[in-house]
Amino acid sequence: MSKTLKAVILELFTENGLDQYDLNIQESSGIVTLSGRVDRWDQVVLAGHLAGGLSGVKSLINRVNSPDSILPPDPVKPDPSSGTLTRADLVIIGAGVVGAALAREFSRFKIRIVLLDKESDVGCGASKANNGMVHSGIVQEPNSLRSRLNVRGNELYEEVCRDLDVPFKRCGLLTVVFREEDLFLLELTQARGEAAGIPVEVISRERALELEPSLSPDIKGAFLAPSTAMTSPYKLTVAYAENAVMNGVNLYLDTAVTGFHSENGRLKKVYTTRGAVETPFCINAAGIYADRVAAMAGKEEFTLHPRKGELILFDSAHLDNHPRIATGVLAIGQDPYTKGGGTMITTEGNPEWGPTAFEVPDREDTAVTADGLDRIIDKFSRLIPDYDPHKALITFFAGLRAATYTEDFHIRPSGQLNGLLNVAGIQSPGLAAVPAITEMVLDLAGDMGLKLEENPAFQPLRKSPPRFRVLNLKARKKLIGEDHRYGQIVCRCEQVTEGEVIAALNRPVPVTTLDAIKRRTRAGMGRCQGSFCLPRLALIMARELGVPIHKLTKSGPGSPLFSRPTKLEALTGEGDAR
Amino acid sequence: MKDRHAREAIVVIGGGPAGLAAALAAACKSRLKVILIERDRELGGILNQCVHDGFGNFVFGESLTGPEYASRFIEQLQSAPNLEVWDNTAVISLKGDRTLTAVNRSGIHRLKPAAIILAMGCRERSRYQAFLPGYRPAGVYTAGTVQRLVNMEGVMPGEKAVILGSGDIGLIMARRLTLEGAEVLGVYEIMNRPGGLTRNIVQCLEDFNIPLFLSHQATFLHGKKRLEGVSIAPYGSSGKPDLQKEKRIECDTLILSVGLIPENELSREAGIEIDPATAGPVVDQDMATGVEGIFACGNVVHVSDLVDHVTLSAQAAGRGAARYLSGRKPAGKALFKAGTNIARLVPQVLSLPVEDKVDLYIRVSEPAEYVRIAISSESGEIYNKKERIVRPPEMIHLQLEKELFQNTGGGDSLFVNLQGGEADGG
Ligand SMILES: Cc1cc2nc3c(=O)[nH]c(=O)nc-3n(C[C@H](O)[C@H](O)[C@H](O)COP(=O)(O)OP(=O)(O)OC[C@H]3O[C@@H](n4cnc5c(N)ncnc54)[C@H](O)[C@@H]3O)c2cc1C
Ligand SMILES: Cc1cc2nc3c(=O)[nH]c(=O)nc-3n(C[C@H](O)[C@H](O)[C@H](O)COP(=O)(O)OP(=O)(O)OC[C@H]3O[C@@H](n4cnc5c(N)ncnc54)[C@H](O)[C@@H]3O)c2cc1C
Repeated sequence: MSKTLKAVILELFTENGLDQYDLNIQESSGIVTLSGRVDRWDQVVLAGHLAGGLSGVKSLINRVNSPDSILPPDPVKPDPSSGTLTRADLVIIGAGVVGAALAREFSRFKIRIVLLDKESDVGCGASKANNGMVHSGIVQEPNSLRSRLNVRGNELYEEVCRDLDVPFKRCGLLTVVFREEDLFLLELTQARGEAAGIPVEVISRERALELEPSLSPDIKGAFLAPSTAMTSPYKLTVAYAENAVMNGVNLYLDTAVTGFHSENGRLKKVYTTRGAVETPFCINAAGIYADRVAAMAGKEEFTLHPRKGELILFDSAHLDNHPRIATGVLAIGQDPYTKGGGTMITTEGNPEWGPTAFEVPDREDTAVTADGLDRIIDKFSRLIPDYDPHKALITFFAGLRAATYTEDFHIRPSGQLNGLLNVAGIQSPGLAAVPAITEMVLDLAGDMGLKLEENPAFQPLRKSPPRFRVLNLKARKKLIGEDHRYGQIVCRCEQVTEGEVIAALNRPVPVTTLDAIKRRTRAGMGRCQGSFCLPRLALIMARELGVPIHKLTKSGPGSPLFSRPTKLEALTGEGDAR
Repeated sequence: MKDRHAREAIVVIGGGPAGLAAALAAACKSRLKVILIERDRELGGILNQCVHDGFGNFVFGESLTGPEYASRFIEQLQSAPNLEVWDNTAVISLKGDRTLTAVNRSGIHRLKPAAIILAMGCRERSRYQAFLPGYRPAGVYTAGTVQRLVNMEGVMPGEKAVILGSGDIGLIMARRLTLEGAEVLGVYEIMNRPGGLTRNIVQCLEDFNIPLFLSHQATFLHGKKRLEGVSIAPYGSSGKPDLQKEKRIECDTLILSVGLIPENELSREAGIEIDPATAGPVVDQDMATGVEGIFACGNVVHVSDLVDHVTLSAQAAGRGAARYLSGRKPAGKALFKAGTNIARLVPQVLSLPVEDKVDLYIRVSEPAEYVRIAISSESGEIYNKKERIVRPPEMIHLQLEKELFQNTGGGDSLFVNLQGGEADGG
């Protein structure tokens, strides 16, 4: 059996021109390891995908490299002598949406939880740079974990968002085809939906245009998936983290995990850059670095590869001629770069186009490319011909999907370290699947021996601080009456007040950077992209945090906003900076 | 701040040079109360951060700094007993029936004044609107933000800067940062000619040996946390950057001076017609917009390079609002239309009968020499003026006698053309 698997992989390599390289294939009980050297990164990924796509392969470790490979920096060596930071019953590595949600769900029980992240705020990985779509699950490979957890996650979402006071909107999805010969794809999708229990309806061109008159008249047909929804991914991450902290979770930011200490194959300590955390259980939710963290237990168990996605956001004032329902395009042989992308409206009311999808060697490569922007605009301008993207554009950004080569979530106990559970490969639809991932992990952790006794003091509800812009007149008056700083607008585009900025600085999750303020309040997220509010926010932050203005950062260490006081300021301490 | 007075008032939104001059003119011509609303902590608008001189050559016959120019108007406020200033107050909504909502620390104020003058100025185009790809690190700022940081908040944005775009603010900041001890590596301009005034090229770049590179564009921003460099390439003939010649410049700061956008969110909300060419409201010679009782002036109407022009248009708006309140309505309307080599003009509408001199502001599309600016109606030319040289950065200001329009009738079009003098494209 295993011999055949290897033979099949070899065959595939030959068919795809990889036989010219001397690639080594090892296989044992479904775990395949590839090694050797090729010329280019896309061949590294191709090799991984060819092998990882086979049904008998449970995990794929890809050690193939190429001259343009970019290895992630070696993790800081654990320092066993650095002393103990704290102790816990459970450590969660990574405060992305997955880690934060897990921390919150485990805080329902009487255990001591530590949540760690290497960044200065929660949600700084993929969780801040995605579409915010709660997919229906219709595009996922049936029978995959991605499909199952997506469908279940979608069912649970509304309640989670209600409890945590996070925006959620069921906008539905309308996916169109432009060619007669692609019409069959719609039927196929409907059939798939029926099998998976996802509502999908094939509709006529006319009906689609009636629902969304801004779509191109050239479309030939469409399907409608009413359960597709939108949420705010960074708000959800913050809300989960805040609720976790409210329920006793200890959050350590600016704290990177560097290794594990075990005795007799059993986890004892998690080493971090700030000391060791003594713990018998640990969940690895380290996003794009989760394979590295998993390997800190000894050897690699699977390999992740970053798949970049770029997104464009448009002015919330430019909604005319833009569909309200999320849209997508289905076609045989379409540009793989933009295949999965669509148009949608974020929960904050900004039209959003994308993402692209392409493999990059660098796990820190969140640069937006000119090519990516062009492809997105080309594709969706065709779908929505009367929308002027150049005029409406306010910003763009990119995130990285943490994909395994088997292209499914990898949610399994470590094969080498008792007490470690890897929650890895959480690429799209990871956000949509989050509530279901937590259910699954709770079960697994129970199986692994983590004692879960209910905490009667658990408080599932969390309230967002008030947002001036969305309040009615009466509520606004009341708010300003209680705290006059809610009457001082500091971000003109999003109408954010000083009161909101100060409230954000005093929440359960500490806020120390400009980006963190932005994600909490939207100050700087509008059409001027912070040119108005930056000086104003900096003054408030410096004052409230008690640091000199020139020490403020955008996103933590290494990202200073300013260099020094001006000569006059240094001499006199005058000017307005305080 | 009693809301109930508002029905009897003229409200001016924005306390920059436009709002100041408009409020003073309105207060002097009308006996109604005038309320000047400014969202910032002090009056003066952009002028407060312009510590350089060069303001007021036309209006005051001398060269003042920005704050000095503003203070000439602020000092006069006391002498206008019917003028009230609301600072730290932002107008957050404006409807077509002139209902406006303002917010400040004392609460929310809903007013429905008899007339409104818009003077909200403009904002700067961002790196994203300039379609500049790459990372999103700290150290990328618009020139006006840098100007505020350095001149008002006393903090330096960085030490090694590249400036993108040769608009005036960028040029002025090149000099300012150099004087503050930072290194300015160069100014890169996508067009084949500078975007700013000649005097600023000389005084801000040449005098400090800061190189200006024309026909260059930024192609990529490097640096994951703080800016580490910017890739620059010559602007190719195909309209795309010539990536063969792309090079990377190491710097920690990028300053963008890539255009200003009149800030018309309130105008749009009120249903005021916006001219795509100016990105500001369509106005007549009294600066009246198409919505009754709402006037507009200064940079919110069209971006001006000289504050003197802003002041003049604002005084016209102030007078116009007072005149409107005295009950006079135009009998008809003619239109000014941009013809050959005219990028945009203000006013777009001529209300009839014409009772005063008309100030017409024009920007050309291309530089040209030895030209004739001609205005003609269907029945022939009514005005012409020779100019030795015209350039897009420098607004042309014509003062037209009212007699010129004796025969202009309602519904007429007046074509403004630039004749002769080959556009030299460079
Ligand atoms: C462009 C794009 C669009 C997407 N769109 C959608 C969508 O519409 N719907 C959807 O469902 N999904 C979408 N996804 C996928 C979704 O974003 C992810 O599935 C989800 O954010 C994963 O969350 P996470 O917590 O696993 O990862 P992350 O958010 O990346 O969190 C991992 C965290 O681990 C931390 N970390 C890493 N190493 C260490 C260490 N050694 N020590 C301490 N901390 C560490 C990181 O700092 C990071 O904060 C999209 C992804 C991309 C890139
Ligand atoms: C950097 C720079 C250098 C310049 N150099 C010169 C020079 O050397 N010589 C020269 O003659 N001219 C110069 N100018 C041009 C001149 O300064 C401007 O044309 C002039 O300031 C425009 O005036 P304004 O009142 O229309 O706009 P602004 O000065 O921008 O004022 C608008 C005001 O409205 C307020 N506002 C906006 N929206 C609201 C709202 N919703 N509620 C309440 N308040 C609001 C703003 O806070 C602001 O104070 C320069 C301009 C700049 C930007």
